[in-house]
Amino acid sequence: MFPLRVRSSYSLLEGTAPPATLCRQARQHGYPGLALTDGDNLYGLWPFLAACRREGLRPVVGAEISEPGTMRRATCLVEDEAGYASLCRLLSRRHDPAGFDLAAALADGSEGLTILGDHLPLLDELWERGLAPVADLGPQPTEAGRRLRNWAGSRGVVAVATPASRLAGEEQRDLYRLLRAIAGTTTLSRLETLESPAGVHPLCGPEVYRRRFAVWPEVVEATLAVAERCAFTGPAFGIVMPPWRRGGEGEAVQVLRRRAYAGARRRYGDDLGETVVDRLEHELRIIATMGYSAYFLVVRDIVHRKGADGRRHKRRICGRGSGAASLVAYCLDITNVCPIRYNLYFERFLNPGRRDPPDIDIDFAWDERDEVLADILGDHAGQAAMVCNHIRFQPRMAIRETAKVFGLPEGEIARLTRRLPWLSRGDGDGLQERLQGLPSLADQDFSAPWPAILRLATRLIGLPRHLSVHSGGVIITPGPITDYVPIEYAVKKMPIRVPIIQWDKDGAEEAGLVKIDILGNRSLGVIRDCIAAVRQGGTPLAESGWNPEDDRPTREAVASGRTMGCFYIESPAMRLLERKAGSGDFEQLVIQSSIIRPAANEFVREYVRRLHGGSWQPLHPAVGDILDETYGLMVYQEDVSRVAVALAGFSHADADGLRKVMAKKDKVLQLQDYHRRFHDGCRRRGVAEADIDPVWRMMLSFDGYSFCKPHSASYARVSFQAAYLKRHHPAEFMAAVISNQGGYYSTFAYVSEAKRLGLTVLPPDVNAGDRRWQGRPGSLRVGLQSVAGLSAACLDRLLVARQQGKFVAAVDFWHRVRPADDEARALIHAGAMDSLDPGGNRTALLWQWAVFLRLRETAKAASLFPAVLPEPPPLPPPDRTTLLRREYAVLGFLCSDHPVTLIGRVPPGLVKVARLGECVNRRVRCAVWLLTGKLVATKSGEAMEFLTFEDETGIVEATFFPPVYRRCAHLLQSGRAYVLAGTVEQDYGAITLTVEQAEALGTGG
Amino acid sequence: MSRERAILHLNVTDFAVAVEQAAEAPRRGRPLIIAPPGTSRATVYDMSEEAYRAGVRKGMALSQAARVCRGAEVRPPRPELYRRAMDDFLRQVRSYSPRLEHGLEDGHVFVDLTGTHRLFGPAMDVGLRLRREVRRQLGFNPIWTLATSKLVAKVASRLVKPVGEYIVSAGDETDFLAPLPVSLLPGLAPGELRRLGEFRIFTVGQLAGLSRGQLLVPFGRRSDYLYDASRGIDTAPVQTGAEKEAVVFEHVFAGDTNDRQEVEAAVADLISRAGMELRQRRQEARRVGVRVGYADGLQVVRSASGRRRTANDFQLQQLADQALARAWLRRGRLRSCRLVCDDLCRQSPQLPLFAETHGRERRQAGLLAAMDTIRSRYGQALIATGRQRLSPLPAATGEAA
Repeated sequence: MFPLRVRSSYSLLEGTAPPATLCRQARQHGYPGLALTDGDNLYGLWPFLAACRREGLRPVVGAEISEPGTMRRATCLVEDEAGYASLCRLLSRRHDPAGFDLAAALADGSEGLTILGDHLPLLDELWERGLAPVADLGPQPTEAGRRLRNWAGSRGVVAVATPASRLAGEEQRDLYRLLRAIAGTTTLSRLETLESPAGVHPLCGPEVYRRRFAVWPEVVEATLAVAERCAFTGPAFGIVMPPWRRGGEGEAVQVLRRRAYAGARRRYGDDLGETVVDRLEHELRIIATMGYSAYFLVVRDIVHRKGADGRRHKRRICGRGSGAASLVAYCLDITNVCPIRYNLYFERFLNPGRRDPPDIDIDFAWDERDEVLADILGDHAGQAAMVCNHIRFQPRMAIRETAKVFGLPEGEIARLTRRLPWLSRGDGDGLQERLQGLPSLADQDFSAPWPAILRLATRLIGLPRHLSVHSGGVIITPGPITDYVPIEYAVKKMPIRVPIIQWDKDGAEEAGLVKIDILGNRSLGVIRDCIAAVRQGGTPLAESGWNPEDDRPTREAVASGRTMGCFYIESPAMRLLERKAGSGDFEQLVIQSSIIRPAANEFVREYVRRLHGGSWQPLHPAVGDILDETYGLMVYQEDVSRVAVALAGFSHADADGLRKVMAKKDKVLQLQDYHRRFHDGCRRRGVAEADIDPVWRMMLSFDGYSFCKPHSASYARVSFQAAYLKRHHPAEFMAAVISNQGGYYSTFAYVSEAKRLGLTVLPPDVNAGDRRWQGRPGSLRVGLQSVAGLSAACLDRLLVARQQGKFVAAVDFWHRVRPADDEARALIHAGAMDSLDPGGNRTALLWQWAVFLRLRETAKAASLFPAVLPEPPPLPPPDRTTLLRREYAVLGFLCSDHPVTLIGRVPPGLVKVARLGECVNRRVRCAVWLLTGKLVATKSGEAMEFLTFEDETGIVEATFFPPVYRRCAHLLQSGRAYVLAGTVEQDYGAITLTVEQAEALGTGG
Repeated sequence: MSRERAILHLNVTDFAVAVEQAAEAPRRGRPLIIAPPGTSRATVYDMSEEAYRAGVRKGMALSQAARVCRGAEVRPPRPELYRRAMDDFLRQVRSYSPRLEHGLEDGHVFVDLTGTHRLFGPAMDVGLRLRREVRRQLGFNPIWTLATSKLVAKVASRLVKPVGEYIVSAGDETDFLAPLPVSLLPGLAPGELRRLGEFRIFTVGQLAGLSRGQLLVPFGRRSDYLYDASRGIDTAPVQTGAEKEAVVFEHVFAGDTNDRQEVEAAVADLISRAGMELRQRRQEARRVGVRVGYADGLQVVRSASGRRRTANDFQLQQLADQALARAWLRRGRLRSCRLVCDDLCRQSPQLPLFAETHGRERRQAGLLAAMDTIRSRYGQALIATGRQRLSPLPAATGEAA
């Protein structure tokens, strides 16, 4: 018996077991191999092939294809390479929104496929169209099975028994029911009325099927012959790169050389020095040898888009990843840092020993990215698609979805999940125990039905849920992309339909499909908008030859951590580090933005100490001087590889493998293997036992995410541009930061920062304001985009109406813009109508709006002229507190005051944040507003939190050590005021507050 | 000439708690919370003043209530006890006037004492006497207020809550209301209160300062009510039960549930009660409405109508099933389920023309009549249909409302 029809959890919400579990079970049952046939997809192909290799099973690739809206379906098993391409094309057709006729599609193209079917009319139709499908009798003899067997017998085709399984075992039935209830947005008790559990089978052992089919033993034996026919064991494309459409690789080499030299002369002047020429020649030689010339040119065409005028225009970009180490890329203007000046190694990106395809990743301004993607997908139609993400149940989602099936109210679910810090992938059990240990959930009620929910939710964790579009990965193939991988379409608002491949980025990489990452970057939008505003204000600012890293005031601002709003260096941890380092050098910033990693705290401290002249020894004499630039610390990803080569004698390819494993999740197994080899290698080269472990520990600090130096340098360049603009054009810069949204902090925090920079924050105004925030020297005008509840359509109408003439009165505004009730009231509360209210009484304005609304409703047809409203009754204007409370409710911040100053009764003896520097090593109390927080784990695994607070005078980072955190965590909520008591500490000039006591103050807002 | 009306409003605050305290006094000053036992997801049914002050509210999760009010005594709700207490309460009141208006077991009753002066003396004496009698015989202490309309009497009750008395003399209504916050006026929707707040209108007097025309602008059709209410004008009569229409029963789940069978069993149980009530009244209903109350507070009402009126449980059940299917679409757990049978008519005494087509119905009617007899003699829970059986001990409350 060979199991020919088995579904895994990749049949989204219709299967419970991951391919790895199924493969392990198949081996335990003694099957020679396994066919994975998920519903309408090949999502699980690569995990399946890997699991088969691990278990020593023969894989059979396949899928079960259904016809939408009918019960017709067929299982297709791949016999050979042609069959694989047929299957990819069939699956792509299946997902085409234009519709799908199963029989016709199979008749059109099923070359190289074995088709299994259990639907007699479909089998008849296929037979009539000249195909010879195999009759699929399912997991037990039935009446329908008897008819199928007779049908097969009368036509001389094969009939087989198949597991038709969706579960790995009987114990997964309740998990299956849960998945179905989630899929149908229903409850467990109602699911019974919707779906019968009769057709859901587990994967049993061969003897079970033999026993069941003892009456027709030949249908069990026949499975082996069918499996024999399906000899295909997985695709092997080699490396698949985008084609350059204006010629072959040979021509591309010539064009690339020409373009690179032209670019070099633009960058460095006509007289190229020896260094530049040598480096260019070296890179061009490697690129040509490895066949990457076309790839570079394709990326260049993406960055330099041909405009309507037929000329190419460069888009604002920031190269990221190792590609920034290439001088050729720099000369082609697809990266933005000079690799020679900043000592970036090309080999990190491309070297003849590298077996996996390197990516070139490029950031575009976030609001231009969709257009870039649409261009690529349009230019390479049929040959390009985006990579997908396989979204899996994470703890939070698993809990949420399960709780919904149990019918718990949204608020109750949110109370738990909102306070759930990031939990790593579940390790099988104990979700409830882990949650109960969390201080932030100290007051959570875990009574029934929560235990049942958490028990089930634990089993959901890690199962795939649905597909989404990868944030920017694009694949371009030389031929039709459906020959490589099935395509479906994303539900994504874009000018064109977005095709996505069925594999995530790991799958694409395993298949050898080279990915170009087109990512959106908010800060490029910020810099673009800020420069435009500065130029509009009459200040010239040329970008060519702009070297903000050489500007002294900018460097001073960076050295003192005044970088809130600046790309990549605005987080509290980063600003503290800048202050401690106190250097403001570009080179140091490159190190700093790399060394701040979740697992590298102790090295950050060590870095600061060594930077300030503390003594240090190299890791080991064998490491030599390779880490001198970073004070003997491993900072960049490539440091891991270089140390592994130097110390343990790793080959370059192995060292590169180690580096990549470090960056992955779920790496425990692979890492153990590397650890052993690293240990052995070091010992062989005579490294003392006591020296090995510290080095390995430092390597482990690259767990999670880490950067390579070219990436850091490329980002630091953008950071410096932002810091320059903030230093010299604060109003325009802060306006751009808030307008582009998506910064590390809330708008509230940026408004406070603007006030600290001495800017006046002007309220929104329907006449003077714009959609976005506007910065003029000295002031910041709130953009109408920040008025909560104002729809985009209303804002569009407002701007169009205003182009025809300013609004002269409130009635005029309401007449021409036609806001909805809540929109008009939000505008009044935000103060955006004040300039149209000569009486200065918002209560009267609200009354007039009510009158206007009544007239508009009763008049039915809108009149051509604005109505004349009667005088409002004498109503008192709102008092100041009410005014501010309403303003806060609509805007989320206050233009004039800081809410912390409005809390009436505060305890005596408080210290303002700006004066904390005078209280070092003393216990103080201060009334502050919580902006944001970051939960971390101590070495012993206890939770603690770093939180950022502010008052009207300044911003301060506060540390909640585990005991305090346990006591206070459930109180802490951003956007509220607290009285903190604690000790002021100073470390290399950076002030922090170590909190001992926290108490909520007043009510938020 | 129309006579001044004398409307007495009696209100036992936290009725269930008052009944419990009268039945068995808890330790003095110890907070009392009434909530179903044995389920962790129970919500507070009622609570004593002490518990209220500690932050406990109706509908709050019991686990949370127990946290904010430590040391409170928790007792299970006993609807039958409250129903009997309410009956006793009403009996006392009824001896002074037949014109009573009251809710389900909530301790509220309006008594129209207009014209009883010669029989019982001044209305305020009746109020005093009634309170004394109720206190002595039933053991709880109602608020009593006297005014010329239900509206003013109710506002006065809200003003003196939780205990006390208040008399608003004829002609004093406007002055009495003027300084009070608008939120004391009954029948104002939260949206209307918010809107009044936006206009900086906080007292009834400020509201009364606006003309009908001015009020019409923001409040439309509601302006007349606001105009009258702010001046203490309320001509609504005290409506006795017989003038009311619908048969209403409600089931409150011990915890909350989204189990289909449990909910269906509860509805079946409500149907059996409503059917019996209809048959006792000799009425038939054409429409059955189901209101489901979700745990997150949302309530959805849907109804289904039949072609003929009926008092037959089996036919009512079909309508209730349709209504439930329309009302219960979300996945959320239900806290309560209310059944309303309305569009009522008196049962026709005429026999059907073609007896054979109604043979089945006749047999059902016979069965139901037998069940009614058993129930009225031995209690509701003794006999039930198979569908009902899954329901735990019936905790339904209700009556013709």
